[in-house]
Amino acid sequence: MIEIKNITKQFQNETEIVYKNTIFQTGKSYMLLGASGCGKSTLLNMIAGILSPTKGSILIDGEDITRKSQREKDKFRIEKIGYIFQDFKLLEDMTVADNINILKLEGIDVTGADTLLQTLGVYDKRRSKVKHLSGGQKQRVAIARALVKKPEIILADEPTGNLNFSIGEQVIKELTSVAEGKTLIVVTHDDRLTKYFDEVVDMNVMTNGQRDIIKEEGV
Amino acid sequence: MFWFALKNMAIKAAQCILVALSIIISAGIAVLAYNVANQVDEGITDNAGYYSVIVGPSGSKTQLVMNTMYFTEEPLGTIPYSVVTELMKDGTRVSSVIPFAMADNYNGYGVVGTSAAFLKNKMVKSGEIFNDTTTMQAVVGANIAKYNQLSVGDVIYTSHSANGSDLHTKGLKVVGVLEESHSSYDNVVFTQVRTLWEMHEHGEESETMESAHEPTVCAILVNTKNPAYAMQIVNEYDGKIGNAADGDPYTLQAVEPMAIVRDVLNEANDTKYIVFVLCAVILIMNVMIISIITLLNTYHSAKEISLMRLIGISMKKINLLYIIQNGLIGGIATGFAFALSRGCMALMNDYIASMGVVLNMAKIYPMEFVILLGVFVISIVPTLIWTFFTSRKDGIGD
Repeated sequence: MIEIKNITKQFQNETEIVYKNTIFQTGKSYMLLGASGCGKSTLLNMIAGILSPTKGSILIDGEDITRKSQREKDKFRIEKIGYIFQDFKLLEDMTVADNINILKLEGIDVTGADTLLQTLGVYDKRRSKVKHLSGGQKQRVAIARALVKKPEIILADEPTGNLNFSIGEQVIKELTSVAEGKTLIVVTHDDRLTKYFDEVVDMNVMTNGQRDIIKEEGV
Repeated sequence: MFWFALKNMAIKAAQCILVALSIIISAGIAVLAYNVANQVDEGITDNAGYYSVIVGPSGSKTQLVMNTMYFTEEPLGTIPYSVVTELMKDGTRVSSVIPFAMADNYNGYGVVGTSAAFLKNKMVKSGEIFNDTTTMQAVVGANIAKYNQLSVGDVIYTSHSANGSDLHTKGLKVVGVLEESHSSYDNVVFTQVRTLWEMHEHGEESETMESAHEPTVCAILVNTKNPAYAMQIVNEYDGKIGNAADGDPYTLQAVEPMAIVRDVLNEANDTKYIVFVLCAVILIMNVMIISIITLLNTYHSAKEISLMRLIGISMKKINLLYIIQNGLIGGIATGFAFALSRGCMALMNDYIASMGVVLNMAKIYPMEFVILLGVFVISIVPTLIWTFFTSRKDGIGD
């Protein structure tokens, strides 16, 4: 279970986003829907320990990740979080297999990679360099890399943002299928995909939007 | 980790090769300069250390030493052999006396008349060193044997003139061929000093063997029983004036070859420092080149590090990965730099040998390791510092 408690995130002391208290239940899939700049990606990055909130805490199974050291956050992210990025974040000059095997640097067992790649339909591309793959194929590789370590939480930031709708829909179907039983939080603009998720969180309601501190408070 | 580092290096092959080349050239040149400068210093000093005193005609002290030790330069002139016998009688202070005369040539190669003791430290490839009691025998240097296809038993004819005309009628029988030493000994014909006298008693006089009736030598190599005796002999013989048996006056000079060589080397030290300064400039350029290469690849590397951080690879592992990569490049390149220095030494050996010094490929000075380690460190440190600070960022800035 992920609990968002009294979170505020300030950016270089100029703008801030205030989040309402929210709970994401274990084993459920969530779709975060909202306008650009309302703080969807920031929330994911804070849950993943990539960004730290300015105020408040994020409890994951009762443990406050905002209090962890950088080293503990790294360990937490590599062990518990599967993160899928809009721009894939793959090593373009390396092969699909290398992009998954990179997790071995942290001692992650990647023996399930072939099965995942088969399920996602990119097994035959495992020896190809990522730069030679299509957008859809790259996103499937990114999903495989995120899921191969069997994370408890899967975060996906606009996973269909660089794909056309039909491919994006296919990717979401596959993602929700392989992530079944895990906590899945997906950020997207596309409300046509809501049917694939257990719950939809309207980020426009969850946050105050990104307000300009300087303009409003003269800081 | 190692496997991934290799894959990553393969992707950045051009960058890796440029950095490696930069290290190979700069470290190679620095090590080469240091090693050769020191071996030449030591080699020249060691050669000079074979003898305590050299006695010869008055004139340039350097010319006397260079002519006697390295067969370079012309002889200063001649002195009577009676000086040799006088020194031989000084058994209290003198342990050995070797006459040295240089006259004639064989196909352009110098001919040295001396005693067998002069070659006592030299290895013979075939045959043996000439006999001190038998004349008209010759021991030839390795190059002379090779280029003139000489072997033991052959007879060679020396001549007065450098162009090979005006040959002596009496030939010298080759009794030995010296092992190649890559030194000036490879290019000289050695014979008993009496052989030169015999050849010139037949009315054939050379510039250095002025009289057929009064035996002369160009120099005398003396070993004393202790250094104090060497100083005494120098004091006694330096500037000594005498008359040969035929009445011709002569003036001697006596020098301690080690002191003369040290003076020459001290003058050459200025050149050595210039070489070392040039090496330092090359090393600085090496750091600049590597820094530029690192900067040019900053974008690519920053993206790679940021990506690894985002998927949860720890700073420690990223730094370790880059340390392995840079360590491999630096390690392999410094290895090649060392090999390059030895390759260049092999190529330079013949030239250096003309100064009478044979470079020892196996000789390694501790400072060479310091230089290699220094180049290795200054080559990889800029990248590692940059990596360290880049990997501390989260990948997504606040």
